[in-house]
Amino acid sequence: MKRTLIHTLLVGAALSPVLLACSVTQTDQLIDPNNLSVTSFINNPTKDQVGLLAIGLQAAMRNGYQDMVQSAGAIGREVIYSASTDNRYFTEILGTAADAFGGATDPNGIFNGYYLSFSSTRRRAESLITATQSAAALSTAEKSASKGFARTVQGWAMLNLLNMQYANGIRTGYSDLSSPGDQLKPMKFVTDYNAGLDLVIATLNDGATALDAGGTAFPFTFASGWTGFTTPTTMKQVNRAFAARAYMYKKDWANMNTAVSQSFLNPTGSLAIGPKFDFANAQNDLTNGLFQNPDGNGAPLVLFEDVITSAEPGDLRIANKTRKRTTARSSGSIVSNYELKLYSANSSPIDIIRNEELVLMSAEAKAQTGDLAGATAAVNIIRKSAGLAAYSGAATKDALITEILKQRRYSLLFEGHRWFDARRYGLLGTLPNSTTPYKVFESMVRPNAETQWELANPLQ
Amino acid sequence: MRKILALCVLLSLTLMGSAWAQTRSLTGKVTDGTGTPLPGVSIIVKGTTQGATTDADGIYKLSVDANARVGFSAIGFVSQEVAIGNRSTLDVTLQDDSRQLEEVIVTGLATSVKRSNAANAVTSIGAAQLTGVTKPQTVDGALNGKVPGVQITANSGAPGGGFSVKLRGISSVTQASEPLYIIDGVYIDNSQFNTGAGTTSFNKAANQTAGTQDQATNRIADINPEDIENIEVLKGPSAAAIYGTRANAGVIIITTKRGKTGRTTVNFGQDIGYAEVNKYADLASSPWTLDKINNGVFLVDNATMLSLYNAAGGDKAPRYNYEKEIYGQKGLLRNTKLNISGGTDKLRFYVNGSVLSEDGVQKYTGFKRNSLRANIDAKLSDRIDLSVGSNFVNSSSSRSFSGNDNNGVSLGYNLAYLPPWLEQHQNADGTYPANPITGQNLFQVVDKMRNTETTNRFIQSASLKFALIRQTNHQLNLSLQGGVDYLNSQAQAYAPRDMQYFVGAGLGYFGAVRNTTNQALNTNVQAFLVDNLTIKNFNFTTSLGAVRLTNSGVQSYIEGRGLKPGDVKNPNTADTRVTDTYLVEAPGGRAVADVGFVGQEELNWKDRVIATAGVRFDKSSLNGNPQKFYTFPKASLAVNVANFDFWTIKNTVSAFKLRTAYGQTGRSAGFGNTFSSLSNLVIDGKSGVAVPTVLGNAATEPEIASEIEAGVDVGFLNNRVTLEATYYNKQVKNFLYNYQLAPSVGASTITAFPVGDLKNQGLELSLTAQVVKSTGLNWTSTINYWLNRTVVTRLSVPNFTVPSSGFGGFGTNQILGPSNGTYFSPTAWYGTPYVNGQPTAYGNFQPKFNLSTYNTVTFKNFTFSFLLHWSYKNYNSTLNQELMDEGGTSPDWLNKDNLYQAERAKAGLADASTFNGVARIYGSTGVTTKQYIQDASYVKLREVSLYYTVPKAAFSKVFGNVVQNIKVGVSGNNVFVFSKYVGYDPEASQFGNRPIGAGVDLLSFPQSRRMFFHLNLTF
Repeated sequence: MKRTLIHTLLVGAALSPVLLACSVTQTDQLIDPNNLSVTSFINNPTKDQVGLLAIGLQAAMRNGYQDMVQSAGAIGREVIYSASTDNRYFTEILGTAADAFGGATDPNGIFNGYYLSFSSTRRRAESLITATQSAAALSTAEKSASKGFARTVQGWAMLNLLNMQYANGIRTGYSDLSSPGDQLKPMKFVTDYNAGLDLVIATLNDGATALDAGGTAFPFTFASGWTGFTTPTTMKQVNRAFAARAYMYKKDWANMNTAVSQSFLNPTGSLAIGPKFDFANAQNDLTNGLFQNPDGNGAPLVLFEDVITSAEPGDLRIANKTRKRTTARSSGSIVSNYELKLYSANSSPIDIIRNEELVLMSAEAKAQTGDLAGATAAVNIIRKSAGLAAYSGAATKDALITEILKQRRYSLLFEGHRWFDARRYGLLGTLPNSTTPYKVFESMVRPNAETQWELANPLQ
Repeated sequence: MRKILALCVLLSLTLMGSAWAQTRSLTGKVTDGTGTPLPGVSIIVKGTTQGATTDADGIYKLSVDANARVGFSAIGFVSQEVAIGNRSTLDVTLQDDSRQLEEVIVTGLATSVKRSNAANAVTSIGAAQLTGVTKPQTVDGALNGKVPGVQITANSGAPGGGFSVKLRGISSVTQASEPLYIIDGVYIDNSQFNTGAGTTSFNKAANQTAGTQDQATNRIADINPEDIENIEVLKGPSAAAIYGTRANAGVIIITTKRGKTGRTTVNFGQDIGYAEVNKYADLASSPWTLDKINNGVFLVDNATMLSLYNAAGGDKAPRYNYEKEIYGQKGLLRNTKLNISGGTDKLRFYVNGSVLSEDGVQKYTGFKRNSLRANIDAKLSDRIDLSVGSNFVNSSSSRSFSGNDNNGVSLGYNLAYLPPWLEQHQNADGTYPANPITGQNLFQVVDKMRNTETTNRFIQSASLKFALIRQTNHQLNLSLQGGVDYLNSQAQAYAPRDMQYFVGAGLGYFGAVRNTTNQALNTNVQAFLVDNLTIKNFNFTTSLGAVRLTNSGVQSYIEGRGLKPGDVKNPNTADTRVTDTYLVEAPGGRAVADVGFVGQEELNWKDRVIATAGVRFDKSSLNGNPQKFYTFPKASLAVNVANFDFWTIKNTVSAFKLRTAYGQTGRSAGFGNTFSSLSNLVIDGKSGVAVPTVLGNAATEPEIASEIEAGVDVGFLNNRVTLEATYYNKQVKNFLYNYQLAPSVGASTITAFPVGDLKNQGLELSLTAQVVKSTGLNWTSTINYWLNRTVVTRLSVPNFTVPSSGFGGFGTNQILGPSNGTYFSPTAWYGTPYVNGQPTAYGNFQPKFNLSTYNTVTFKNFTFSFLLHWSYKNYNSTLNQELMDEGGTSPDWLNKDNLYQAERAKAGLADASTFNGVARIYGSTGVTTKQYIQDASYVKLREVSLYYTVPKAAFSKVFGNVVQNIKVGVSGNNVFVFSKYVGYDPEASQFGNRPIGAGVDLLSFPQSRRMFFHLNLTF
């Protein structure tokens, strides 16, 4: 009996590797069990897949906005992100550590998030174009409409990135790095800020042309924030609104005037009209990170008090957008008794661009092109909406521009404009806390990863 | 496939050819030099697997072939080999060997070699040194300071461990880079699973839903250190090559205790003790004066601070030591074990049950581990041995919240920012006063929030050994081995709805609970043929084998956001939920697998020259091409010069060995690193997808480390004094890391990309001496000295900053390619000032050197031991001082040490001399990263103990022969730390088990001193 058992064991032991050999030596080629593969969506996608990519782009477009307004808001001396556990948000960004970083913020630091975000929106828009152009399921008009939308989003993202980087510029594009179609090798930087603006304008214009040829409907749906702008025709109005911004920064007032007039500008309509980012507290979605409860002490967004003291008495925008704190907040040596209340909940939408800005842009374009009466009328639309009396200052271009900048400051508070406005009119030195130990930056630092790429892969 | 067939054919043929032989009985008694019987001596019939062990009285009995040679060995004694001739009884006396030169160490997956013949410096830690002095909570903690060539860092002092173990510098950068742990042949999972504690709803250390800064326990904590008989540390590729692609970060081989033939022994042990903070940050000592209140740079403005101060009562306000109130608990430590072991020559067993329960220094924190292990060895026939080991573990930890934070939750931050006069104690109605500074009352965090993890784990090992040929000069063995490690870990992070920080965090919901489940299954099987052939003075050991390792699992969580009042922790009751599931598996639900084939040849000429050569071929699902084999060769040579006839000074220089070894190991990319998949995005309730910003490398290949090691081992005065000296040079080719792209292309990185080469060079010295050796008094001392230097020798991608290696201007690690012949260290700290766009270099996280000494003094029935460890010039990137200055709580806040005076004067600041607490905070004039890279050198009394063995005469009248042994003692772990470091213990690492980016400290959970009383009874 015993011998039998032992022999069985021995023979079994000898044979088992033979029997198991096939499965025992198998090593599988892995495929991602958790996520969908890129390839099937980019090469000849179905209409459903195109729909998913388009919604993905709308969702991804939100990335970077919060980083941008936080940094631009601090440099433009509007609002400080007063993080109790990380004082870099009010030391570095206000320039008190600029000497240590060679005159900038930390190139590896916490303010670079917008850079990848806007760049990835640019990339994702490009991939929507690649996908839709190869989609047999789409008509020519649908392909054109898709491209028009993608270029519009792309132009918006590129303009934001360029405004943050200013003279550092943006890349003209990208090509293949190691495999066909990978599009991971960056092309050279534009030569200066204006060349960057030209690139943005060309992108938007390409989008406008494509939207013109885009028929009557997109081959995909939109998040509800885009309501009113979901046809190629109305999307073009958004495209022109973005173009008006770009022309404004380029000081190309005539083209700005044309673009703003082709946008959804409506001097008699609601100033709130415009496409919006939706937010929700849900799986894989984003919440509005700029929402805050009253008197928070963790990381409140508090105001430079100059925003309050410089406002005209009775300006409704102060009451609507700010709130007095019960306890003052100190951010470094900057004390604030006021905080931001732009949004009522973390699901509140954020405006991408709205009629109020278009009215202000039309005022500026008119003032700059000599239509002072038209400019004054536009300014008064804004003043009236803010509960202020009609403009009573001098009817000169300079006085009107000063007035328009002031109205922009309050109408577009903490929406990423003040810093750029002060810069384009050479007013950075007039901002509060602009002298030692502070410093008002002209541009955000180029991220280290970008600089190192340039050093390792020099381009002509 | 062809290879495995060939192996099988060979195997079957050898089986048929095996023969049976005649046997008879041999008995005897084994004693030490003083005539005391030696239990547990292992006796082996040379050239067979036959053996026995002496019982409690030193008696053994076994069956042998005629004219066999029998070897006697025991750890701590010089082995002997005796030709029995036709004797039937044989008594043997074994001599003490202080350096344990005869102990056996692993050289292959199925072979071992005498230490005196080894070509590598393999450190071996026995039970006496591992847990014999005091009771470290975890195995990795128990190794700290004991192994030359190893840098072990506790990530925080939170109960349940969390250690980073680096063997001979850095050989793998991508993943956790922890060594491979093998327990009785089972490949053990040492993951640090996400628990969610560091995510947005809790302390928001990482602003994302996947937890990268959860600071969890690593799962080696489940292993009961007291089950361990011995640990061998294969530090580098030259020793670990035979483990192939799993071994790049070294291998730690753990052997558990097994039953010994003879009388059944029952051992009962009870430890009881307490834990307390070993070093406070001293946050309450600096006085609060109007000077401070009016000049500090606080989170509230000075006027508000003044009104808070006056409201509290100003000068008359009571001063609380909140630090001691939070961390001042004397945690109760209890550890009970009962083990029963014994056996016959056919069956041996070891069963150990232990219950460990340790409270932390903070209320409601602690670590518990209930472990049951059963090891059975059976001799199925005189040719077949079966060994099985089963271990069930239930462990749990409660670690609260500390370290990095963006919600105002972590207690370190809260303490640093809290003035001692601000009343924060719980109100009579059960509510907590609001904290007007950080927005969160710290007692509410302690009392109401939870961060817990419970693990149930089953580890099973089994091996079968067949003696196929058993001739005197030729033996062939087949060994089959398999193992399973299954674990299921449930973590929970919980914050009730009334936590104050939800107001400030603006998350839009109040209260959150995240339940995380992590499951992992690891299996391993291997088959080996080992042939041992002696021809004249030459002994050949040939081994051939195959190994298969698999891994699969799933990690998932469900988080409920917006909780209702009450204490229900089920996410179902929440307003909304977010979930995630992450599968680790191959297509078809199969496991991710590695397969390896091994061949090795060892040659021994009269114990004078020992040469080894071997090779392993590995393939893995984790590689871009899962069918491609990678080759890992090894070769070594040891020459025992003192064993040659010309060596005439053996009386003084008793051993002299020159040795060198070469080997390669590898490491494949982590699971998921080959994929480029779409991101799932949702807006307005609509689902969408987008191309990813992090791309996989579909063509990834393993990184390869090659090491050459050379050394000399010398023994003096019959090995009473031994010296082991080793130099190594370990080069890692094509180490895998994130390839950081130009972010302007809209993608940030390609994972698992071969970015360059690394070089580690180091020195390890170990001196052991029996300083005093007399009848009453013995003193053994070991001194270890080691150092390691790591540099990047080639970089094929742009220079880059290691992601999450610190906090920008507070210091980061950089991977910099060589420049003009200069190499840079990846563990050095970099920061401001930036000169021409280049950051300035500061100190290194790796110490200049480590020095440790382990001493045991026995005097009559007393044994005194201690372990002292000195880590010299290792630097942390620490925000401790910064947080304390911002909060006004640093002890020297009010001093005016003229810090940055020159820079302040130069900048035209009127207050050229100001308070330390103002002058050195981030962004102040002249302050650079230098302020935050702090010397974290320390001298630690890691372990100390005094035991007394009660003389048998004292209790034999009461207990008769029932009680064999009574031992009592006191001991301490982490008893003292001497360091100028600001904050708690300098051993801290926010980012956990990372080879690069470790040593970032933000007032981590303090380390504790653990003091014990021990009682041990043997029946």
